[in-house]
Amino acid sequence: MYKKVKRMTVAMRIIHWVNVFSIVVAVITGLYIAHPYYQSMIAEAAAFKYVMAYNRWVHFIAAILLDVTSIAVAYLYFFSRFEKPVKKLIPNAQNIKEFVEVVLNLLTLNRRKNFDSSHLDSFNAVYFTILHILLFLMLFTGLQMYVWGLYHGTSSIGAWWPWLLHVATDWTLWVFGGAHGVRVAHHLTMWIILAWVAFHIYYQVWRTIFWREGDIAIVFGGYKFKKAR
Amino acid sequence: MNITDREHLRALFTKPTNYINTNRGDAYYRELYKKMERRLAELRAQKPVREAEMKFEEYLKVWELTRRDFLKWVSATTAMLMLPPQFEPLVAQAAEVMNRIPIIWINIQDCAGNTEALLRSYSPTVDELILEYLSVEYHEVIMAAAGDQAEQNLEKAVKDFDGKYLLFVEGSIPVGMPEAFTIGRHPKTGVEHVKHLAEHAAAVIAVGSCAAFGGVPAAHPNPTGAVGVMDVVKGKPIINIPACPANPANITGVVIHYILTGEIPELDSLLRPKFAFGYRIHDNCERRAHFDAGEFVEEWGDFGAKNNFCLYKMGCKGPFTFNNCSIVRYNEGTNWPIGVGRGCIGCSEPNFWDVYATERPIADSPIQPPAGRGVESTVDQFGLGVLTATAVGIGIHAVASALAGKKDKEENKEEV
Repeated sequence: MYKKVKRMTVAMRIIHWVNVFSIVVAVITGLYIAHPYYQSMIAEAAAFKYVMAYNRWVHFIAAILLDVTSIAVAYLYFFSRFEKPVKKLIPNAQNIKEFVEVVLNLLTLNRRKNFDSSHLDSFNAVYFTILHILLFLMLFTGLQMYVWGLYHGTSSIGAWWPWLLHVATDWTLWVFGGAHGVRVAHHLTMWIILAWVAFHIYYQVWRTIFWREGDIAIVFGGYKFKKAR
Repeated sequence: MNITDREHLRALFTKPTNYINTNRGDAYYRELYKKMERRLAELRAQKPVREAEMKFEEYLKVWELTRRDFLKWVSATTAMLMLPPQFEPLVAQAAEVMNRIPIIWINIQDCAGNTEALLRSYSPTVDELILEYLSVEYHEVIMAAAGDQAEQNLEKAVKDFDGKYLLFVEGSIPVGMPEAFTIGRHPKTGVEHVKHLAEHAAAVIAVGSCAAFGGVPAAHPNPTGAVGVMDVVKGKPIINIPACPANPANITGVVIHYILTGEIPELDSLLRPKFAFGYRIHDNCERRAHFDAGEFVEEWGDFGAKNNFCLYKMGCKGPFTFNNCSIVRYNEGTNWPIGVGRGCIGCSEPNFWDVYATERPIADSPIQPPAGRGVESTVDQFGLGVLTATAVGIGIHAVASALAGKKDKEENKEEV
């Protein structure tokens, strides 16, 4: 007899799929911006075909979507009425034990499973947090590169916008050693996020296969199934 | 680079905004005009540093420059300094009283390229004339004196104009290996030379990328520990005029600004005058339309190169470089790197030789991870390595799971 367990609210699922869409789009357009890998074979004057400009525009829209979801996620970490992930991040004895048990479950190929899999576990909470830190890094390095185009200090929406961007992102120049370092960090973080995505998809599929609790359904329907005892 | 340098850089980088205000209102400019008039009157009352050899007008005649050439230069300089047109008479007068300001110009680890840029133009220019007319008390490349005589000249100038002269420094300073640069009959290292002269100067102007950020001598592995002036000189106003070579228009712009106001111009976070370095090359580039259109030069001499397509894929670093080359250009507006069909190498940015002058896009340039400098791999190669390692790990785990993994059976007991 299996029990239906709610794991993701509608809002969480929307955020998840917006993130998926935005990351895929940002990677495709971002690689073009870094090194234009196709030519714009359009017989038009340069003034009418905006191949690079549209790539950048789409990249920025994807980035803005990610920025918005990042803020929403950061809020939900602390104030969600459903499940506050921050509770699973506090390094207390219980969370550390759960984290180790989940890792052991993965490493022993599901021979050992000494934790409750009906709610968010500490391992996934940490793993998801890594993604959000990476996305924040992308946000800050990306906006720093964006503000170079507003170096005159004004924008169509006023001087406050570049001012805000400088205040919020100028530290990246210091951390990564100038404009070149920021650019390289932004590009390299993309690869780390792709590696993150690869393991994330694998792990969720693996859970579905070996735990037999329908974990993969969480992100579509919001529910998984747990054997009732 | 040690941590103190980074701290220094952080302080420089962390400024809230680079807002360039080109219209500060009538009241501001009326006040500024009066202030500049007072300053010019003071300078005119002073005697020239060297008893009038020639008047400015005579210089113009000797150099075969017409009054019209001079007025064109005045208009351009006024606009470059972001002053309204009514300031043109003041700029013209400033040029005429320039011989009241003593100048000492020294060369440390450099190629004298900035001096050459000033001197070797296709015809005598007003910028070049200004250098001639300026009261240059000491300039190692162009002075006639040598040996003891040169040293005496320098010491005399430092004593006579203590706290009044402008010190121009060209070339980087080898702090890691001070003996790498010595000069004079009674040898002094570059570090001592700069520190001594800066102590008595009114302001220090670092000309060229070497003097500003270390430039080429500071490129990896930087055997002499070369740094820019701002890392050696403390407690004096410093103006950086980077680029390789620095644009003569920007050098005279800074001098004229100093003569007009007695102050250094507004600087950005890297101590570069905003009037010159407040622009990104990419944003004022004549080929920007081709960038936005996705039309790139794929290889030298191809269809795109012949049609002035964007040089981004050939490694142009205009998107990372702040300078006014795309507006002022070089050699009296004749041309500039992108105009002649090759990319920008970011020569006015810190570390340019290591990170920008690779002649290929940053995505294709070797990166240097902090752990292993000089590793020849691009960001994408490195990133693919990370992804491959992940895939290998996933593959091993997947195969192991398929062979030996334990699926929860109905009878399995789960501890909760």
